[in-house]
Amino acid sequence: MSKKYGVYICTGCGIGDALNIDQLCEVAADEGFKAKSHPFLCGKEGVAFLQQEVADGINHMAIAACSRRVNFDIFRFDGCYVDRVNLREQVVWSHPKTQGEEIDHLQMMAEDYLKMSIEKLKKVKMPEAYKLENFTRKILVIGGGITGISAAIDAAKAGYDVTIVEKEAQLGGYAAKVRKQLPLNAPFTDMAQPVLAEKLAELKAMPNITVKTETVVARIAGQPGDFTVTLKKPGEAIEFDVPFPLPPEMRVDENGKELEKDQLIERYKEFNKGKNDILTLDPNGEKFGAVVLAAGWRPYEPKEGEFAHLGWGASSDVVTNHQFEQMAAKGKLVRPSDGKPVKSVVFVQSPGKGDDADFPYTGSVTSLVALKQAKYVREDDPEAKAYIIYEHMRTPGLQEYFYKSIQQDPGIFLTKGEVVSVSKNGNGLVVEADNTLLGEKIQIDADMVVLATGMVPVTADDPVINLAYRQGPGFRDNAIFDQYADSNYICFPYETQRTGIYAAGAIRRSLTMEESIEDAAGAALKAIQCIESANRGVSVHPRYGDMTYPDFFFARCTQCKRCTEECPFGALDDDERGTPKPNPTRCRRCGTCMGACPERIIGFADYNIDTIGSMIKAIGVPTADDYDEPPLRILALVCENDAYPALDMAGLHRCTYSPNVRFIPVRCLGSVNVAWIKEALSKGMDGAFLLGCKHGDDYQCHFVKGSELASIRMRKIGEALASLALEVERVAQFELAIDEFDKVPQIIDDFAAKIEELGPNPFKGF
Amino acid sequence: MTQAYQVKPDLEFIQEVTQLGGGDVKKCFQCATCAVVCPISPDTRPFPRKEMIATSWGLKDKVVGNADIWLCHNCGDCSTKCPRGAKPGDVLAALRAYAVTEYAIPKALGKAVNDPKKLPILLAIPVVVFIVLGLITGLLNFNPKGDEIVHAHFFSTWLVDLIMVPLSIWAVAVFALGLKRFLADIHQNALIEGKTNQQTIDPKGFVDALIRVIPKILRHDKFNECGENKDRATAHMMVLFGFIGLFIVTSIFFVVLYIFQIHGPYSQLNPVKWLANLSGIALVIGSGLMIKTRLAKKDQITTYKDWQLIGLAFGLGVTGLLTEMTRLGGLAWLSYLLYFIHLVFVFCLFAYVPFTKLAHLVYRTVAMAYAEYAGRK
Repeated sequence: MSKKYGVYICTGCGIGDALNIDQLCEVAADEGFKAKSHPFLCGKEGVAFLQQEVADGINHMAIAACSRRVNFDIFRFDGCYVDRVNLREQVVWSHPKTQGEEIDHLQMMAEDYLKMSIEKLKKVKMPEAYKLENFTRKILVIGGGITGISAAIDAAKAGYDVTIVEKEAQLGGYAAKVRKQLPLNAPFTDMAQPVLAEKLAELKAMPNITVKTETVVARIAGQPGDFTVTLKKPGEAIEFDVPFPLPPEMRVDENGKELEKDQLIERYKEFNKGKNDILTLDPNGEKFGAVVLAAGWRPYEPKEGEFAHLGWGASSDVVTNHQFEQMAAKGKLVRPSDGKPVKSVVFVQSPGKGDDADFPYTGSVTSLVALKQAKYVREDDPEAKAYIIYEHMRTPGLQEYFYKSIQQDPGIFLTKGEVVSVSKNGNGLVVEADNTLLGEKIQIDADMVVLATGMVPVTADDPVINLAYRQGPGFRDNAIFDQYADSNYICFPYETQRTGIYAAGAIRRSLTMEESIEDAAGAALKAIQCIESANRGVSVHPRYGDMTYPDFFFARCTQCKRCTEECPFGALDDDERGTPKPNPTRCRRCGTCMGACPERIIGFADYNIDTIGSMIKAIGVPTADDYDEPPLRILALVCENDAYPALDMAGLHRCTYSPNVRFIPVRCLGSVNVAWIKEALSKGMDGAFLLGCKHGDDYQCHFVKGSELASIRMRKIGEALASLALEVERVAQFELAIDEFDKVPQIIDDFAAKIEELGPNPFKGF
Repeated sequence: MTQAYQVKPDLEFIQEVTQLGGGDVKKCFQCATCAVVCPISPDTRPFPRKEMIATSWGLKDKVVGNADIWLCHNCGDCSTKCPRGAKPGDVLAALRAYAVTEYAIPKALGKAVNDPKKLPILLAIPVVVFIVLGLITGLLNFNPKGDEIVHAHFFSTWLVDLIMVPLSIWAVAVFALGLKRFLADIHQNALIEGKTNQQTIDPKGFVDALIRVIPKILRHDKFNECGENKDRATAHMMVLFGFIGLFIVTSIFFVVLYIFQIHGPYSQLNPVKWLANLSGIALVIGSGLMIKTRLAKKDQITTYKDWQLIGLAFGLGVTGLLTEMTRLGGLAWLSYLLYFIHLVFVFCLFAYVPFTKLAHLVYRTVAMAYAEYAGRK
């Protein structure tokens, strides 16, 4: 299909007043593109005009108007590739009109952006969706507790075939082991009978749910829409058990030196003897489209000697909340040491010792469970007393009503405070607490002490999902999530670091059963969404609907493995020699592989080394031949997820900043290839910076690792610049959150001032 | 503070405070809004936040012998601002009622006074005492002679004093015994909680403090600092001054009778009579206003003990004034009957006062004097 170009300039929203539109049209004409202007492109007539153009054969158009983040649905035409030139937010709204000055910055900026778009249009290819050879809609649910059961029911109700695998002999998980549940219905004041039986009955009535008890996942191979899953009995060793990557200590020789490639392969084979490689598909494997991970949690078991100041280990009457729940589920509460009735119980919510932190792996659940268990004490004996000493009492949402109702019980006493010690006193215990609301150190006689220990996600012990992925069977670098199956529970609930695997329930964060039931619906919907995207070859969140996918020019691959290792989602597997094997439906299209590739052989149809490189080339760099004091030119590569909207907002708020910067949106800072920076500096631009998300433990990167990887690469490029006698300060990376538009002018102007100080690029004009 | 406090919750105490109108105490989640908004709470260790948790934990020893519950004037600012509806104002009122019964002996009488079911018996006691003693001594004459209505002809002044003088001594004795323990307790509590700079109670210093406090009480200084229920001060002042006026009148009458042998009734031109009439009217209007406010205020809890006190004040005033009016109007039998009823109220006042809410007159005064003495800031 031959390309037919069109350039359309909108003169509305102040664009026509600030810019010389005729001159802009001439710029396009110089490039051989015919440009047309319209006073109101997004209006009814404007859109009709564009539709007519498309009908007349235009299939690649540049719309020079507002930001790509607005009116994207209006400027969408079937069979036509649309590129947006942001003249409004980034040019006329964020820079004052230049009048009577030698240099018309505004016009230069608009012309540059138009030229950049034209170059891009010349380079882009029409995206074509990737089609899976095999495709299945079945959903695998790992874990048959309340979350797994609920997720299976929800997915089955939506018409999907579901298989639940449960390692125990029975379904139910923890929900089968409690005396009562937290309130489920209005007025949320009274505990409820366990709902498990009801859920199981509902499950049984579903014809499209298969239940496999005493079954675990040996491996999950393949990609969303086409996973090949091998199941096995717990404890069994089979050839399709997933191989594990070599641990770091095995990758080095006795002297601590990294082993040679061949030696590594040898060791890896030795280490995983008896197991098939990840690329070997199980011919008897079951096919699934997506996975809901609901494997849940296990009770935290204090180690020997841990919490000794709380009497743990010294008295059998000091128990964890899990042990207390089991006692309560069995019947009337009695003291473990002598079987006598329980008259006074102290619930300790935090280990104290001068720290207000709760026990590990706790949350609102442990607060609510303490309230529930205090009520058990009172139910069993109206004369008994229950004390809850907390640093934090968290009762979110409607459970606040439950907290209120528990408060009303005359025999339940709550105070914030720090438990100092639990010691034996005759047959009983004495709890001493300081900094209480009673204003002094207090002592309470207790028959039992209950420690509010937490819920450890099973992913802390075991990969569970056993992915046959080159990056390993579990979630990578999961320590920043304390081993929860998560990627960022605020921004992307249910998403894990592996596409097609959606976590729900207590494996994701400590949740109550009631919350888990709701959570299950979310993960089930995510799994369905993933399946219904994979089948059309479009990306899932956050680039939902994107049809492009990474394309590899394998002939030039040096098998450096960087793409395989750096992909935040483990989308690439490689063979023995290190040649990457893409799995497009695992891919989230961030382009981190493209940024990583030293050979620059990875790219997307409309986003690759060449498209961005050409845009950079199109930026006009004024020299001393043109002006006495030529203005500086700075390249800014801007993350489209947070930083780019922040720039738009800065424009919307009429924040002004240096007109010498040219912005290019990138999918993620992780996709930035250093070749672009080199390109900019070698053509005489004076500096370049990256604007993207916060990285580190509390990262805000949509692709988990993009901004972090970019910062590492930028540090390295600094060294390269130094060898070219260019100052390392000419390249920088800044963090910007989506709500920090007010910081935009300062970040940009400070950098521009620094470049000004360094002086023009000595390569300018060469 | 090295010694840890032994927590021994008393569930019965929580229940009793609930019955006395403090049932919302358990709703408290200790945000301390009450202690912040209270216009009259001291800056250090302010009430009622700490009293709220101590009560909800059933720690009787921390609140009953605590002078702070008496420093509270039930303005109601705390209850209005409480985000949880725990009504600290009502809780402290309940605690005071509890403290009154705690300090007054015999306790059985205290219990009876606070039990609405026992009211008929309590009212029957004076009736029986009057009739039996009157008939035995012959000082009660159901057929008084003479054209002029003289109440002493029906119910001899001798009989009145024979009953009322020992009764007032009884009241003073009950108060004295209660106060002895009360003062020791509040001092002990202040020492533990660090609310005082005095190690012991020096009688002279305490009396000096009392003298300093009394004008403040009469002026209703604390009442006027209230935000919510400021208007209550007027009614309270009328009732208080009504009682004080009538106390003065009765004392003069007593002295004049026994020293100068002059009998009543006095002429309406007599200044003592003016004071008596004025005080009676103040009492009736003041207590009437209280009834009106209590009936109109739906968010404040009004318990039996509240109605008891207001009813007593109102009853005393109304029967007193009506007795006088019917006497002047020449309605002999009606006047005698009203006088009898009036005396029943007077009996109740003396006999039961250490057990009723009216005891606050004594406890609050002492607590305020103590706070002044102890340098509570």
